[in-house]
Amino acid sequence: MSELSVKHLLGIKYLNEKDIQLIFETADHFKEVINRSIKKVPSLRDITIANIFFENSTRTKLSFELAEKRLSADVINFSAGQSSVKKGETLIDTVNNILSMKVDMVVMRHPNPGAGIFLSKHVNASIVNAGDGAHEHPTQALLDSYSIREKLGDVAGKNVVIVGDILHSRVALSNIFALKLQGANVKVCGPKTLLPKHVESLGVEVETDLRKALNWCDVANMLRIQNERLDISYFPTTREYTQQFGVNRTLLESLNKEIVIMHPGPINRGVEITSDVADSNQSIILNQVENGVAIRMAVIYLLASKIK
Amino acid sequence: MMNVLLKNATIVDSTNKNLHLKKRDILVKNGVIDKIASKITPPNKTKIIDYKNLHVSLGWFDSSVSFGEPGYEERETIENGLKTAARSGFTDIVLNPNTNPVPDSSSDIVFLKNTAKYSVNNLHPLGTLTAKGEGKHLAEMFDMKNAGAVGFYDFKRSIENSNLLKIALQYAQNFDGLVHSFPMDTKIAGKGVVNEGEVSTKMGLKGIPVLAEELQIARDIFILEYTGGKLHIPTISTTNSVKLIADAKKKGLDVSCSVAIHNLFMIDASLEEYDTNCKVMPPLRTKKDIKALIKGVKEGVIDFVCSDHIPMNIEEKRVEFDNATDGSLGLETTFGILNQIFDLEKSIELLTRGRERYQLQTPVFKEGEIACLTLFNPEEEFTFTKEEIVSTSNNSMYLGKLIKGRVFGVICNNQILI
Repeated sequence: MSELSVKHLLGIKYLNEKDIQLIFETADHFKEVINRSIKKVPSLRDITIANIFFENSTRTKLSFELAEKRLSADVINFSAGQSSVKKGETLIDTVNNILSMKVDMVVMRHPNPGAGIFLSKHVNASIVNAGDGAHEHPTQALLDSYSIREKLGDVAGKNVVIVGDILHSRVALSNIFALKLQGANVKVCGPKTLLPKHVESLGVEVETDLRKALNWCDVANMLRIQNERLDISYFPTTREYTQQFGVNRTLLESLNKEIVIMHPGPINRGVEITSDVADSNQSIILNQVENGVAIRMAVIYLLASKIK
Repeated sequence: MMNVLLKNATIVDSTNKNLHLKKRDILVKNGVIDKIASKITPPNKTKIIDYKNLHVSLGWFDSSVSFGEPGYEERETIENGLKTAARSGFTDIVLNPNTNPVPDSSSDIVFLKNTAKYSVNNLHPLGTLTAKGEGKHLAEMFDMKNAGAVGFYDFKRSIENSNLLKIALQYAQNFDGLVHSFPMDTKIAGKGVVNEGEVSTKMGLKGIPVLAEELQIARDIFILEYTGGKLHIPTISTTNSVKLIADAKKKGLDVSCSVAIHNLFMIDASLEEYDTNCKVMPPLRTKKDIKALIKGVKEGVIDFVCSDHIPMNIEEKRVEFDNATDGSLGLETTFGILNQIFDLEKSIELLTRGRERYQLQTPVFKEGEIACLTLFNPEEEFTFTKEEIVSTSNNSMYLGKLIKGRVFGVICNNQILI
């Protein structure tokens, strides 16, 4: 049986193309499982997983927890707000304390880039990165590619534009790595202030005209403006942002073809996309959410099989 | 100290044509170079040093070293710090005000000088430029200079207020004080932790653009041109910084600068594993910058290559990258790295030059002169491991790297440490 080339899922840039295909094939199976009347398999009855979230999250945390439960793993949850982290405990100590209760796998979200990599070097457990600062959010990128594959048949050769705050976005970075690895063409689009100066070194093109970008692409992945991460105004007002980088029905209908609209959520309706776009047939936003559970089941299942 | 006889030592001193690269016996008596000859018969009670491939040069000088005492003794004490410097070949070090509290008065300088009084090597402290190093009001520079401070520096803290730098440069002229200005525009640098470039983009780490450094240097040079005075810009790291300083020197401005050894050797790609020992300020840059910096050193635009030695206890380093404190050990590895970048003659010239900038006496390799010597073997190669570390802390970015050149120790202040 094939297995992943890695012990942890720390970022897309540590995976190879075969890993991604294996995750997708495994997710196909689990997607079928979660659409049965009994949505559960007993695969991970002997595995205990800790979801450790040092940053707020609703959907990612729910999605992971559901994925773990549908694999019959034992699950414990921990968030920084209610922990001893605020009392000055180090990350390694916090996690080692949890691991000493015989936990096999840690799903962690953390505000610092590289936190998962750091942890993987110092603790004895399989680590799944559920978002580390502006670095990576690998399961999001996997579910995004999986959703493109589901909708368009393949990722290779497709034109994908990622629109919005690329500078502060782990979703953008992981998506760039994942899409490039699978042979897609990638452009990023947004105000210059929210594009990393050296983003082209990642093998993507920059387009600051949204209409041009949309006319070029097969898929537009609309990112949320993460106001909580901005330490200074990178644009004057959200109103002006929307005028330049918001997608509405009129804009979509004026394009020369029908494109697919994606969004990692949560949506700021009326800012990056209008409601009629978010709720349209072209949008696969809710498919992404459903696929998120299948992808996370696949990742956890494949990593757990390496523990055994 | 008992008499010491160095047997068959190769002398490296390019300023001394008669002795340079010659093999000689050297007798040191009562801390003075008593005799240099092809063969010397040791007098009674003489310690004989007869090492394989023994080389000797004038004692080495480092313009940027941090310890921790007072306040951060867990990082490094003055005593062990000086021992580390001596075992790494340095007879003279300029000590940064990187303590808690910072040395901002003459009594603080006296404390540092007194603590180092009986050491084999010499400690030359910098005082802070501003009271408490807060960047608001000038510290008592004149008083500190009289107590032994060789310059004034708010360590790794930018002088944000341009008028403060203007006033400092004007005020220090009365007593020929050397003002240091850390080259970083803090607003442009923002919360950056590494060089802004391909690596920072890929790693999701906040980048510090080269612009932050170059803008500050350009400003400092404009101010210096207006005020006159003596300005030192410690630890530059970018291609354009070299150009800016070269232009200022051409104009005849009294400006000097240094580069940290790691900025000549390590690039930001070393950070791909988020190794916090590679987290330094200014950050590791690119190959292109290294090339320009090395050229700047060769052409004399850059006056000093320093270790920028910053011991840091493990609690400050074994954390998430963003939360780690800047700094790497440097003393132990400076020679062994420098010796891989430059030829032996250039390496030793870089390690021995520049004391006059800090108004310190330069030792001389001659019979009858005070013995201030470093003993080493430039050929020995080894992998740098924790066992090689003399410092109290272990935060070296060179762990696992190849080192070319073994330092035996120093003879200085009528003492020997090998």
